[in-house]
Amino acid sequence: MAQQDSSPFSDIGLTLGMLLLRIWLSIRAIQTGLEKFAGSAAGTKSVTIDGAPNDYGLTEATSSKVYAISNYQGVPGPLYEKFSNEPLIPSWSLDIYNVVLGPSLLLLGFTLLLGICTRASLFAMGLLYTSLTFGLILIKQDAGVAWLGIHIIMIVIALVLAKYNRLVITNKF
Amino acid sequence: MQQILPTLTRRDFLAKSAVGAGLAVGSPSILKAKDSSQEIRVGFIGCGKQHEVLFNAMVNLPGIRYVAACDIMRERLKGTVGRVRSRFGYMPNHYSDAGEMLEKEAKNMDAVFISTPDFWHAPHTVMALEAGCHVYCEKMMSDTIEGARTMVAAMDRTGKLCQIGHQRRSNPRYKYALNELIQKNKILGPIININGQWNRALASSQDIVYGKPDNLPNAATLSKYGFDAGAENKLNEEELRHRFLNWRFYTSLSGGPISDLGAHQIDIFNWFLGVQPKSVMASGGRSYFKEREHFDNVMCVFDYDTPEGNARAFYQVLTTTSAGGGYYESFMGTQGTLEISEREAYTNIYKESGAENSALWEKLVARGYLKKDAVGKAAGGSDAIAAYESAPPDKYALPGGFSKPPHQPHIENFLASIRDEAKLTCDARHALESEAPIYWVNPAAKSRETIHFTEEHLHV
Repeated sequence: MAQQDSSPFSDIGLTLGMLLLRIWLSIRAIQTGLEKFAGSAAGTKSVTIDGAPNDYGLTEATSSKVYAISNYQGVPGPLYEKFSNEPLIPSWSLDIYNVVLGPSLLLLGFTLLLGICTRASLFAMGLLYTSLTFGLILIKQDAGVAWLGIHIIMIVIALVLAKYNRLVITNKF
Repeated sequence: MQQILPTLTRRDFLAKSAVGAGLAVGSPSILKAKDSSQEIRVGFIGCGKQHEVLFNAMVNLPGIRYVAACDIMRERLKGTVGRVRSRFGYMPNHYSDAGEMLEKEAKNMDAVFISTPDFWHAPHTVMALEAGCHVYCEKMMSDTIEGARTMVAAMDRTGKLCQIGHQRRSNPRYKYALNELIQKNKILGPIININGQWNRALASSQDIVYGKPDNLPNAATLSKYGFDAGAENKLNEEELRHRFLNWRFYTSLSGGPISDLGAHQIDIFNWFLGVQPKSVMASGGRSYFKEREHFDNVMCVFDYDTPEGNARAFYQVLTTTSAGGGYYESFMGTQGTLEISEREAYTNIYKESGAENSALWEKLVARGYLKKDAVGKAAGGSDAIAAYESAPPDKYALPGGFSKPPHQPHIENFLASIRDEAKLTCDARHALESEAPIYWVNPAAKSRETIHFTEEHLHV
């Protein structure tokens, strides 16, 4: 009769798998949340002629990406416009959603990455992606719905593997 | 010692200048700003729309203190005072009479910006120069060539700076195109033809109306300041107010569209060619705005003798259409064409398909002097007859633009000149050398005869 491996490394594959899922899902949420604070800063730079800045003051436009609270937009403009025409999305709820979406993604991303209430974080993240799915269904963005569906599958797998969760601050909830 | 200036009306000024009298030189120039660390104290005479353009172009420049402002319309004056206060937290002193402002403030001012109607440019400029201030005066220098000459004389007499608002002269794109592409590298070859235009739609050419007529100056004020000039009968308040808002339509108050819009561009013809024209022929008409005194559409042709040979320049100012590409000046050489405009979007450079200096163009692209935009592409189509058509030119562009308001470099040049850090790019003398031929376009159009310029026509 085969003896069951009871060493601490017996579940190492499942533990690493869970860790990878946490990292992927958290980075996905954090960076998506951060991008909602991204904007562009226009500037100018001197035109180079013969390898040196020109003497006439001729310039060319430059544009660089910057992050700022003032740039924040939870729901991107074109989507916001489409959602605002949807009768099933009241304007007050769209406004609230627009405000909380970015901070929610950041918060859930960090709790998942640091291992704070992992199951609750995963579940909340799943609900958030489901809410996004609801909006995309209304405006018939089928590719986006499928893409979020993949996220939900990954979250479900993470919940299944939650008992192998290591490197956490708290494993409660 | 500060000389007290009288309150001067335009009629007074013209009467005095006609006999060679002027205002006495006054203020102590020893107190004036001379280096970049010193604040330049400026005043404004005229607070209308063009003043707003100038103010917006200088508002971000450091080292300026706005001392005083003057306009005969109280609401405009309040606007200027408010703009200064909201931006800088202090209020300039305000006046309704330029003479009074100069009398009280000249000792505290380094420079005056004049953006009044054309017929007041010369009196105000001479008054300010005589009071000891440097002057930035909007173009056209004056509604008459005699008025413009008094400005040059006053500049020479007082030794003060007098910049005329041909702002393209300080525009980096124009300076670069002239110095590097036309003069130094001669990419266009000999310039044989020039074409320029300012086409403005009917919607932009209508009479100006003011929503709150009660805020306009009253008849007595407008008469005092010469808005009844040239009228055969006594004008009522409504007529005077129309003249106040629409002085550009009256022959006694302005030079009309050819000086209002054409002055900028014909100045570029003369600046780029470096010579004055030999003659002008012109045609104009009150073709749409039949009640206006000036021609609403004017076309003219100047002939030049340049060091490279004979050249001619066609210019049109149309106030009944915007078709035809807006406003630009096009210098057509045998090897290429520079189509340049204050608007970067209207600026293009073309190389002739058979240009003998093709290698030079490509070398300049490689060194960053030019950008290549597109290879010339034949339009094709079944209606094309190959034997009739030249191969299309390749399209190039200037290597850059500039991101400031169009008037800012010209004002920067004026301020730097006051501080002895630069030389004026368009002082009154050079401006008049270039503007003088423009004064003869309307007479040529009226007489339907070619005017061959003599020293009498063009002297400064």
